[in-house]
Order: sequence, then structure tokens, then C-alpha cells
Amino acid sequence: MHTTSWHSVGMTLDECIKCNICTAYCPVAAVTDKFPGPKYAGPQAQRFRESGQLQSPDFSVDYCSACRVCNEVCPSGVRIAEINARAKAQIVAERGIPLRNWFFGRNEQLGRIGSIAPHLANLGFHNPVSRYLAEKIMGVARHAPIPRWSTQGSFRKWFFSTPRLKSDKKVVYFHGCSTNYYEPCVGKAAVIVLEHLGYEVIVPPQNCCGLPMLNNGEFPAAEKLYRSNLEKLVPYADKGYPIIGTSVSCVLVLREEASEMLDLENEATRQLKAAMWDMMEWLRDLRERGELDMNFRELKMVLPYHVSCQARAHRMGRPALDVMTLIPGLDVREGNAKCCGLAGTYGYKVEKYEIAMKVGEEAFRFVRAQGDEVRFTTSDSEICRWQLEHGTHKACRAPIEIIAAAYGLYDLDKRQPI
Amino acid sequence: MSDVIVIGAGLAGLMAAYYAARAGERVKIVAKGLGATHWHAGTVDVLGYYPTAATPVARPLDTLRDLTRAQPQHPYALADGALDRALQDFVTLMQEVGLPYAGATSTGDNLWLPSPLGVARPTFLAPRAQRAGDLSRPEPMLIVGFQGWRDFYPTLIAENLNKQGHRARAELLPLDLISARRDVNTVQLATALDDPARVESLAAALRKVVQPGERIGLPAILGLDAHVTTLERLETQVGAPIFEIPTLPPSVPGIRLTNALRNRLRQLGVRIEINADVIGFRAEGDRVMWIESEASGRPLKHRAEKFILATGGILGGGINSDHTGKVWEVIFNLPLVAPANRGQWFRAHFFDPEGHPIFRAGVAVDREFQPIDARGARVFTNVWAVGNVLAHCDPVRERSLEGIALATARCALTIDH
Repeated sequence: MHTTSWHSVGMTLDECIKCNICTAYCPVAAVTDKFPGPKYAGPQAQRFRESGQLQSPDFSVDYCSACRVCNEVCPSGVRIAEINARAKAQIVAERGIPLRNWFFGRNEQLGRIGSIAPHLANLGFHNPVSRYLAEKIMGVARHAPIPRWSTQGSFRKWFFSTPRLKSDKKVVYFHGCSTNYYEPCVGKAAVIVLEHLGYEVIVPPQNCCGLPMLNNGEFPAAEKLYRSNLEKLVPYADKGYPIIGTSVSCVLVLREEASEMLDLENEATRQLKAAMWDMMEWLRDLRERGELDMNFRELKMVLPYHVSCQARAHRMGRPALDVMTLIPGLDVREGNAKCCGLAGTYGYKVEKYEIAMKVGEEAFRFVRAQGDEVRFTTSDSEICRWQLEHGTHKACRAPIEIIAAAYGLYDLDKRQPI
Repeated sequence: MSDVIVIGAGLAGLMAAYYAARAGERVKIVAKGLGATHWHAGTVDVLGYYPTAATPVARPLDTLRDLTRAQPQHPYALADGALDRALQDFVTLMQEVGLPYAGATSTGDNLWLPSPLGVARPTFLAPRAQRAGDLSRPEPMLIVGFQGWRDFYPTLIAENLNKQGHRARAELLPLDLISARRDVNTVQLATALDDPARVESLAAALRKVVQPGERIGLPAILGLDAHVTTLERLETQVGAPIFEIPTLPPSVPGIRLTNALRNRLRQLGVRIEINADVIGFRAEGDRVMWIESEASGRPLKHRAEKFILATGGILGGGINSDHTGKVWEVIFNLPLVAPANRGQWFRAHFFDPEGHPIFRAGVAVDREFQPIDARGARVFTNVWAVGNVLAHCDPVRERSLEGIALATARCALTIDH
């Protein structure tokens, strides 16, 4: 019962020479026996998933966090993380999805419902009794850093209720669910920087990129979301507008992961891929074209930078580092931690919370090693920011917030435009 | 913008980056994945076997004179004199980064160390942890493994050592002395042995099985980040010389070597981009302007003044081939020296002492280590090639892989050291 085909990753399976480098670097296998490592769960087990076999041979692949470190270090170009994601989808297709994972896949709806009355929602969910019950009944780890709903309204509400710059130079902004409901400040920072650079920002209708569903093996539902985003975004790609996102993982899904995992490569997906930019990647490109405003204010501080595994998975270099190092006085220190551990919805699951915290220890240790005077850290993905704050008790900001602050447009403490 | 881009993160690439950074260049390493250092024993082979000679090489630097006379196109011949200095540089560097390497007791001799099968293998420099395994030493060996661990077989090793006239016996200790896990790989065990408490319990168990006068051979898992401390602690607590025997991959000695070099390179300001699969380049006239690597959105351009190709051979991925017998260099599609057709790839006998022609395939270079075509003309003015991508050598057969990597890395960019 294969619900998905394997063509785009299948060939890379044969490139595996069993060298075990992936297993040596897998942050999950390093801390738990429950995951045997990428080589075993991926290319090796895959041999038994082929050719009409009815049952998945083994369920340990559920413990893969989808951080993609295996792909990163593989010297042979095997798409191990994709093989694992498809194996999870096969398990879900065979056995159904646990209710908790079904909820995790619908974070957009959860975000929208909570935003109706965010104070009430935060009070109702973020109290010890509710969290205890959520753990016991649903399996949602009670200490996990689940975000709070923004009490200042959604990003879209702010965007459409304030006067915005009109210009001939236009860009499209993809905010994602997290920015809209939990961290609208990141979207505000992006918009004010883009307008500062003279661009009119268009915020079209959009929906969840589908990553939580892809990670939890719900491929058919993820496909609906992806197709819906294609319909909403491709017309802008047609017009030649860059489509910029501040969430590295959403951007990765929209330009690569979804079409690849779901076998949906066609003209529209190629158009979207070519039009999408990560915010920092786009700023770096402006800089290379000599169009970036270089009048940054001095930001005198040490800033530990945890490079998200999802940012590395783009293979686009270190754009956030390239741009942040242009800021005078700013001592950006790049960490080498493999993953923060939280990895999407992974660390929210009660059976995986401890694993996620152990994985994150490498990143927490890096932050601690930069000294007590460190006030802020930075990381590309919202997930990493929440986990870093949880593990280090230091405020973590998105790189675009740092840039906005360096232009004198943004207050890093209050997380709002000045 | 970098001054120099090194393509490849194996030993040759890391060392070429080191030399360039030391000379004041802004250097970036662009690599598809982590290098072949993770597969090898962490030792530096210079020359173990001379083609066609009946016995292994005893004094490689002496034998090299014959080799370079007989094979004037061999990378060692082109690197004329660079090897000695490259070996010294390497020893100094490894001392600086806290992972000391040394050669045989008698200067210039090859060291003989036990392989994971208990076969004597020649090498030139070894990390301190492997040196007490020197098979020219008289003390009998106790080879220790762990019950149920599938990556290391002490009985097999001891049996083979005895057959070759080296006294050895085997012991198996419980795996739970060093790990609470059921299925565990070399790197995880090495990390576990960074913990002094585990070292203590291992030492206590070793004291019970070791006999006076014996030296102890263990799998190469004695610590990762705290390796040197772990080794010293263990030797002190057991009171016997201890040595590591390399294991199946992932190779911990190779990973220690990579980590040490990468940390040093970071201190020198070298940017290391892995997961960057180079898919294209742009040349104007005889100069390469940029290379580009595959990425999620659009290819990522890497511009530089100079490019060093250190992508390795067939196993490392620098050279590819197909079933029709076509062989090509994967980055710049450089002209290759290779057998004309597939029928000439292999000789009839697998263990033919001459080796197989396909393994000598590679990029031909001039004395500056810049790639040349069949007529001997330079292909690009700003490209250098180092390590196993080079033609006219068979590093696996010669046991010369790391020696060639070090010597040629030193020759790249024509730096006046």
C-alpha cells in the first residue's frame, strides 16, 4: 500500500555507501536508543519498504526529528531526510494518525481560534493544570516551549490597519502562521525594513505551508495546503515580484520540500521556487547588487547566533551572518550546534521532549559560553528561538529584528517598531 | 567575496585551506559533505608498498627517490621536496591543536600497526593513541573488545596477530562498562568515554584482565573531545601501555583529526560550507570567475580569485564514471588521464601487483599543481588541484593517500612558505 511514489529520492538511495557519517552526526541518535540513526531508518530500512510490501518494517523512523543534518553531512548526496519523511507518511497511511499529531498539523487553525481572545486562550492553555492535563490526555509535553498567542493582535490585522508605503518597487511577503499569530513583531520588522529600502509590501492571502503535516506524515492534507498556496502565490511570481519569507522552514517547504516529497514538480512549483526568497538571502542579494542601505547604527553587543538546521538545509550559505556582520559594533558569534532539538513539533511530544532538550544542550552550551552579559541571542527559525529561550532564559530575536534595530526602526527590548 | 575557494573538505582540502589562510588569504571551503577523513584510520601513510616490489617499504622517504625517478609524473615527483616540509608542518600543527602525531622510534622508518583485522599495516605518522601498537615492540598484546558489539572482534585480531608472529590474546568485557545503550556506534562510545567515571570503570575492569608486561589494544573509541585526557587517565589508572586499533567507519581517529583541523581553520577565519554540491562554474578566457552550488531556491554563487580542487578520487566523488567507460572530473570537467575504454580499466587479477589502470586515473597537473591538458597546456590560470583527484598515482595500493594530500596541499597556490 504505497500512497506516495518514490521517484525523486529513490535513486539517491543507491548512492549510499554505508559509511555511517550520518549516524555519527545525527543529533537524535546521539542521545537516545529509540532512534537507530539515519542510515538504518533511512536507506537501509527503505530496502524493505519497496515493492508492494504491506507493512512498514519498523516504526523507529517516527523518532527522526527531520532536522536534515544527515543530508547535510552525507558525502554521497543521499536524501535521507526525505526518505524518512516518506516512510512516516507510509506509516500514517497504514495505521492512521494519533489525535495529538492531527492537532499539531493544524497549528494555523489553533492560531486563529486562540487569537479571537488571546488573553483568555493564554490563560486557559498556559497554566500548570491545563498543561498537566494536556500531557496526560493528549501527550503534549507539559514543559515544552509552546508559544503564547500574541495579545497585540495578528500581524495581518496590524498590516491592514496601518497606512503603508506605495512604490513602483514591489515585493510580496509570506509571513507564515507563527508570525501571524505568535510573533507578529517579526513581520512588522520585515515590513518596516522593506519599506525603509523603498519597497511596497504586498501581503496576499496565504495559508499554512504544510510543514507540520509533512513532519507528522499527513501527506494528503499537506498537499491541499501546498496547492492552495500555489494558487494564491503563483500569480505574483508571474508578475515577477519576489516573494519573501521570514520563516526559513516555511520558505524551504514552499520552494522545495513540498513539491519534492509530494511528487508535485510542475511549471507552477518551479515558478514558485524561483520567486521565493528567504528574507536574509534577499537582503544579501541586495547588498551584492550594491542596493542595500549601509547606514546601520552601531549595535554594541555580543550576539550568539544559532544557525537553524532548517536554514542550513537551504544550502544557501549563511545569509543572516553575511548581513548581520555589516552592522558596526555587533559581535556576531556563529555557533556550531547541529540542531536546537525542538525541530517543528517534535519536542512538543511527551515521549520526545527529553530527547529534544538533550539535543538542544549543544546550542544552550554555546550560548552560555558567550558570557553572562549576553542579552539577546538570534536564530533563523521561530522554533529555535522558542527552544533557545526555554533552554537559556535569554531573549532570542529573529535576524530581521536585529537588522530593523540597526536601521534605528525597531526596539529590540519591546519587540516593536519605534 | 573570498580570495581563495577550496572545493572539498577532506585532508587535502583542509590542509590547502590552512596553508592559504596562513598566508593571509580570505578562504572559504565549499564541500558536498564531510570528507573521507571519516573513513580512514586517522594515520598519515606516506608510502607502504612500492609497486612490483616483493616486500613492503621500510623507509618510505628513501624509497620515494626510486619512485620519483621511475615515475616522473607521480604527484610526489612533482611536489619535489615538499613532502618532508609538509610532514613537519603537519606534526607542528597537530601539536598546536592538541592532537599530537609522531612516527616510528627510528626516524624515517615506517610504523607497523595492527589493522581492524589484526593485519600489520605500514604507516608513517600516527596519533599518540595508536603508537603503542607498534608491532616492532616486543611486549605481548592483550586485545580487548566488548561483548555483543558488532564493530570490533578482538579474537579475530589476536588470532591473526599470532599467525604473523606477534604475541597477542583476546578478552571480551561487558559493553555496559562504557555504555548503557543497547545499539551503539563508535562515535557514541567515544563520547561516552569523554566521561571520567566511565574511564574509571573501564580501567578497573582492565586491571583485572591484564597481565604484567602486556600492552592493551582497544577499539579506537577512547574519547572524542576529551580524547587526550581520556587516554592519559586510562593509562595511569591501568598502569599499562594502551593503544587504539582503528574500527569500521565512522572512524573516531579520522573525526578527531577533522574536528581539530576545522577548529583551527575557524580560528583563522576560514568559512566552511558543507552540503554545497558544486553544479556549475563560469570561466572567462582562461580564468574561473565563480562556481555555483546547488541550493533550495537558486544556485549559490561563490566568487574568488583562486580555486583549489580537492574533491578526491572515485570514492571521494571528485571523479565519476559510467557504465560506458566514460570517466570525468565533476567540477570543471578538466581533461583526465584515464584508460581509453572500459576494457582497460582492470587487469585480469584482482591482486595484480601493478594495480589497476583505472585507479591511476585523474587530473594531470604541471609542477605548480595547475591542471593541464593532453598537450601539457594549463587549462585555467587560477585553478590548482591537490590530493586524490590527481592522476599518475594509486594511493590506496601505494598506501600514500595522506602523504600525497599533505605534500600537494602545500604546493597549491605556489605560496612562498
